[in-house]
Amino acid sequence: MAAGLQLVFGVQRILNLACGSFYALGAYAGVSAVQWALRLGLPRPLFLLALLAAGVALAALGPLIERLLRTIYDRDESFQLLLTFALVLMLEDVIRFVWGTAPQQLGNVYLAYGQLRVGALTVPTYNLVVIACAAGIALGMGYLLTRTRFGRIVVATAENREMAAAMGIDMSGVYARVFTLGVALGTVGGALVIPATAAMNEMGIEVIVEAFAVVVIGGLGSMRGAFVGALVVGVLKAVAIATWPEGEMLVIYVIVIAVLVLRPAGLFARATA
Amino acid sequence: MPITRRRFLKGSAAAAAAGATTRLHHIPAFAQSGPLRIGVLAAKAGVLAPVGESGLRGVQYATDRINAGGGIAGRKVELIVEEESSPKDTVERFRKLALSDKVDVVTGAISTGVGLALGPAAEEMKTIWLAWDATTQKGVEESMPKPKYSFRSTDNECEAVMASILTARHWKGAFRTVAGINPDYSYGRDNWAAFLAIMKKHGIDVQVVSELWPKLGATDFTSHVAALAQAKPDLIFSCFWAGDTPIFLKQAHAAGLTRGTKLVLTTGGGVHEALKKDFTPEGAILGYNCFYFENPKASALAKEFTRWHQDKYKEWPNYESDHGYFTLAAYKAAVERAAKAAGGKWPSTDQIIAALEGVEAESLSGPRRYREDHIMEATFYQGLTTHKNRHDFVTIDPVEAMTTKQIQKPSGVGLYDWINSWKA
Amino acid sequence: MTTRLLGAAAVAMLLLLPLAGRPYTTTLVLPAFGYGIALLGLNLLFGYTGLLSFGHALFLALGAYTTAVLTTRAGVRHLELLIPAAAVVAAAVAVPVGLLCVRYVKIYFGMLTLAFGMLFYSFLYKFYTLTGGDEGLRVLRPFLMGRSLDQMDAVAFLTGPYYFYALALLAAAVLLMWRIVASPFGLALRSIRENPVKAEALGVDVRRYRFVAFVLAAVFGGGGGVLLVIPTGLADPQLSYWTHSGNLVFMLLLGGFDSFLGPVAGALVFILLQDAVMSVTPYWRFVFGAILAVVVVFVPRGLLGLLAPPPRALV
Repeated sequence: MAAGLQLVFGVQRILNLACGSFYALGAYAGVSAVQWALRLGLPRPLFLLALLAAGVALAALGPLIERLLRTIYDRDESFQLLLTFALVLMLEDVIRFVWGTAPQQLGNVYLAYGQLRVGALTVPTYNLVVIACAAGIALGMGYLLTRTRFGRIVVATAENREMAAAMGIDMSGVYARVFTLGVALGTVGGALVIPATAAMNEMGIEVIVEAFAVVVIGGLGSMRGAFVGALVVGVLKAVAIATWPEGEMLVIYVIVIAVLVLRPAGLFARATA
Repeated sequence: MPITRRRFLKGSAAAAAAGATTRLHHIPAFAQSGPLRIGVLAAKAGVLAPVGESGLRGVQYATDRINAGGGIAGRKVELIVEEESSPKDTVERFRKLALSDKVDVVTGAISTGVGLALGPAAEEMKTIWLAWDATTQKGVEESMPKPKYSFRSTDNECEAVMASILTARHWKGAFRTVAGINPDYSYGRDNWAAFLAIMKKHGIDVQVVSELWPKLGATDFTSHVAALAQAKPDLIFSCFWAGDTPIFLKQAHAAGLTRGTKLVLTTGGGVHEALKKDFTPEGAILGYNCFYFENPKASALAKEFTRWHQDKYKEWPNYESDHGYFTLAAYKAAVERAAKAAGGKWPSTDQIIAALEGVEAESLSGPRRYREDHIMEATFYQGLTTHKNRHDFVTIDPVEAMTTKQIQKPSGVGLYDWINSWKA
Repeated sequence: MTTRLLGAAAVAMLLLLPLAGRPYTTTLVLPAFGYGIALLGLNLLFGYTGLLSFGHALFLALGAYTTAVLTTRAGVRHLELLIPAAAVVAAAVAVPVGLLCVRYVKIYFGMLTLAFGMLFYSFLYKFYTLTGGDEGLRVLRPFLMGRSLDQMDAVAFLTGPYYFYALALLAAAVLLMWRIVASPFGLALRSIRENPVKAEALGVDVRRYRFVAFVLAAVFGGGGGVLLVIPTGLADPQLSYWTHSGNLVFMLLLGGFDSFLGPVAGALVFILLQDAVMSVTPYWRFVFGAILAVVVVFVPRGLLGLLAPPPRALV
């Protein structure tokens, strides 16, 4: 999901506050999709497909919302921020309307992949599958951005918008696709995570803070930064829980401030701020 | 399904069927003074939303029955529902109900912050407030020492007290190391402290190997589970009550923690349908607060409510519905008692308050009452989990019941003083 | 001309409200005064300096908790002392936070301020022995002009002395902000918003000016927080949550950040609108989101922006 944030920001300079809400949407939709698919007879180990399908399908919202954002591209960035905030409010109620207020979860379906012993710990294989997926997506994004034509256009547009337009690149098309991709990253992220946890009311609002922390630590606009930032946050949080549980809630902010004081642009930031 | 929010007036309700047993001694003239307006503060968003919705359903069920039976002293009940959100906003909603909608009484509120703010607000607005929950030590002791208009629910620590007593009873001598994983706020802290105090009182020498404090409503416990697995406790105590409960159990189970570790889940029964057999072991102590949906000794009223709830919402009810129901049942009983005492006139607020103190009414879980100090007395249900049922989630067997006389501190005594005074 | 008339009408209504209006509406409008003051500060930051803070609620919360601590723990009940105290606390926090945040612009600034707001939220939750945690801290009724009004009935207090006192404070804040904005400092801020590079070239120390604006905004925020929390009687961590900051920005946009009184108008409209919408549907968040979207896209200069002509380019 942080990758989605980065992508959209890097290219379009839009900070999408609603990315958390897309994450939540993906989560809820993922639950529904898997429940529905299982009921229709999908064999349990294939539930991952249903999840991914839900996440990807929701990305269809991308073009719609991008169309909305398009109306204010040329305005001050703050407006874009505000528009995405409006989206947050609306999506919260949409989720509440469609799925109600009770937490949604998928039981033990995710244990269909079994468990592994890693040292002294037993770890559900699904967790490793998610990590693998994340790595896969990261690599995929990397490939997309550096090797494919589309990717290079995206990077070029991020570096220098005017030049890219001058070179004849279809800006609105690029933007639409980039935004959709950003949304997809959010929804797929939400869907993938859900089997091990549960979808709860207002999760979109809460997760945004962590997403921001990840992005700030990794450096705004950098995909590698998103990945590393997420790792840093995750690891430090785990360490805190193991050594100083009382500080769990504060750790993330301390890291953010530390990074900002020491290395203001984040770990991997680009020159263009 | 969306519940109509604002005015809720049911003439003859569908739920009325099985005979509401109200005995009306009252002069029909009351019916002409128009309906009784009852304000409801129900949480609609965030981690409280499912609980708020549950409470609201209890209130609506009570309203249906009351109106089907002719209302309260002949007057029909009309509900005006507002949202419980932050303390500031909820106080404003309370003011609206009191000043603008001119309700006769307000029922609702679950979160501790809101509860603390509403106490003085109720006194200021001179409006009776019957809370569903939110009864922390601080709320009772500090801010409202002698409340007039506020009537609170059972103490937040009751569940921990009962679970601790059951722990001592079933497992004394069978465990040494304990770990606690509780939400990081007043409820979590108070319950954990109560547990430790009671273990000490019972002479059980426990060694705390891990104390974890995730944020309320956290959705991922992988690191916590890892920390617990490393600490290897004999017993894990948790007062999770929201969506975090099944997530934690799921992840704990996936890491093998639920095999061989004793579990005490004081309030997990609130989300009982989410506690699937897949990952919730048998033999854990599980608390359902004041309402257990499959109590073999359930009253006819409880059984009917459970059936109604399942039919209408495709979900089994939890305790907050009962809290909601009782506030209305108590109000009705009090008003009718006061009306009788007042002769032919509608009782004043002061008279109703006097009638509420000590009032007894039938709730969905058995008889309940309000103590003279405005705290509720009720029965709590907990037990050891079992998989032997026809659901895909766990239930408890046998069902142990304890009343607040056993697990709630009496008025005027501090919690720990009271625990220390027990004859072990 | 229409603006003047409308303005006069609004002021008249506000003055007459406690006397002629329903008590509920009067108490409803009270938070708008607190918000109005806080938003004057936010507008200084956004409308005049071009920095959008998504953590302004932090200073409101600071003002609120200062009031709570002082009235309950330190026995300080005079509102005349509480407000300056809140201002000092807000400024004290704004100094380090501001130093850190004004290094960045636009998006970074927004994110950072959001993070600080949430940091304080977590702090309030975590250090519960100090702050009351999730239960918050009580706020006692302040003394107005040296007189204790504890015995007064709450509704009478809120719709009477307190209402007029708060309104007077709002007026004072408006005047104060007017002086700031009309001063050379204010002009410099505007030049920074229009074109920071040019301003720098003209000898304006951009970062220092932004920093001062930040601290000033914080001071107003703290003062607003005091007024906000007195009717509730409780300071709680939710005051610092980022969506509260989001609402502040919403109010600002609604009223119009381009105009001087936009923020105050925005606060009033938002409060009244919220009350109306909440009574009609449980999905009021959706409605509000839609309203915000409409305002951002179609009415970016807010309601007051509709009335006033577009601003002339800075000479």
